[in-house]
Amino acid sequence: MESVEQDGEQVNRDDLILQQQREIEREISDSTPLVSDQLPLTCLTAEYNGDAVFTAKIQALASKYKYMRRTRPDGNCFFRAFAYSYLEWLISNKAAYDKFRQIAETSKDKLIQLGFPSFTLEDFHGTFMDVINRVNPENPGGVEKNQSELHTIFNEQGYSDYVIVYLRLITSGKLQEDAEFYQHFIEGDMSIEEFRHQEVEPMFKESDHIHIIALSAALGVGVRVEYLDRAEGGTVKAHDFPEGAQPMVFLIYRPGHYDILYPN
Amino acid sequence: MLKLFKKSKDKIPKSEIINEPKEPQKPAVSKCGKPLLLDNSRWERRLHKELMSLIKEPPPGVTVDTESVQQNLSEWKINIKGFEGTLYEGEDFQLLFKFNNKYPFDSPEVTFIGSNIPVHPHVYSNGHICLSILTEDWSPALSVQSVCLSIASMLSSCREKKRPPDNTLYVKTCNKNPKKTKWWYHDDSV
Repeated sequence: MESVEQDGEQVNRDDLILQQQREIEREISDSTPLVSDQLPLTCLTAEYNGDAVFTAKIQALASKYKYMRRTRPDGNCFFRAFAYSYLEWLISNKAAYDKFRQIAETSKDKLIQLGFPSFTLEDFHGTFMDVINRVNPENPGGVEKNQSELHTIFNEQGYSDYVIVYLRLITSGKLQEDAEFYQHFIEGDMSIEEFRHQEVEPMFKESDHIHIIALSAALGVGVRVEYLDRAEGGTVKAHDFPEGAQPMVFLIYRPGHYDILYPN
Repeated sequence: MLKLFKKSKDKIPKSEIINEPKEPQKPAVSKCGKPLLLDNSRWERRLHKELMSLIKEPPPGVTVDTESVQQNLSEWKINIKGFEGTLYEGEDFQLLFKFNNKYPFDSPEVTFIGSNIPVHPHVYSNGHICLSILTEDWSPALSVQSVCLSIASMLSSCREKKRPPDNTLYVKTCNKNPKKTKWWYHDDSV
């Protein structure tokens, strides 16, 4: 807690910081939906003011991916992009959908076994299953209707955020289960336990490689991330999680943020 | 009419609170016609559920003041006892939990209230508590119960009863809501 002198009056600096933070948050939520419509990849070019490196890289990327969807940069973007993208893929893959629903169904018991309180878990798991059922490929109306349903659900904060909480818990559970392995990814002297409680379970905490590896391993879902940055070379580097897995979810990463990609 | 209540055994009728009829709100509906918003009282349902569980299976030393909750579901008073064998043995404390309709996405606002505020390096004399799960590290999967347990454990592990070093300045200048303080969580050892 600090206070500063301003016009001879003591002003609480914390209040000023928090006020500014809230304004930034409001600006972001007003300008970006939780998940946008499909956009052409070239919409990214404008953000880099014609920078030669980025323009070349975006062009290279546009030859592999036809569309993208932006997600709101609120620290939950990886989880939101992952869930949206995978469920959208499942809508037209009945066998994979059934298998995933089974995994999702039993995931709750596994988390309870790992020591998560069943009491709070139930709510999140319930909503997660509800969302999965709402996009069942067997629903009347077919793919198109399921897709629009998915889009509506994910732009409804009440639903969208419940899904994210549950995915964060699954990620945290995986870190706990294979703590010995994941310990190597953690910088500094933070324990897995501390990392889970401080960087995974709370909302709005950004995701790193370790989150992606743990979630994709826990659910058996391959994820390809394309890295758009200033690094050397005219192409965008891709990375698959877990290594060697067949990707079903395609994301673009720009420092601090994930959006969804649609391969050709 | 007044005469009717002259006799001492006549009780003044309880005032009835008449709520303004609310504008019927059109529920958000998804394209297939199902109601989309889970409903506005979802946070209340969660609080009810937590309350029931806390009454039925309270953690040791923790009791809910059910009267306070009956009056207002968004403000709970919770009594917490200093554990045996700790510096706070024999002491009784009271916590105030305030919830808003974004609970459990927003953390509850939790302060010590009443005449006995524990003397602890993370508790200010105005009842504010410096505990990371109450702000930065809050997760919707936590609960009133887990907050109570964390606070109990924070008290139990204390080695020396003293106020935070910046107590005087903080109490003088802080916001009434401790969630509006940008806390520095630098020391977990006490």
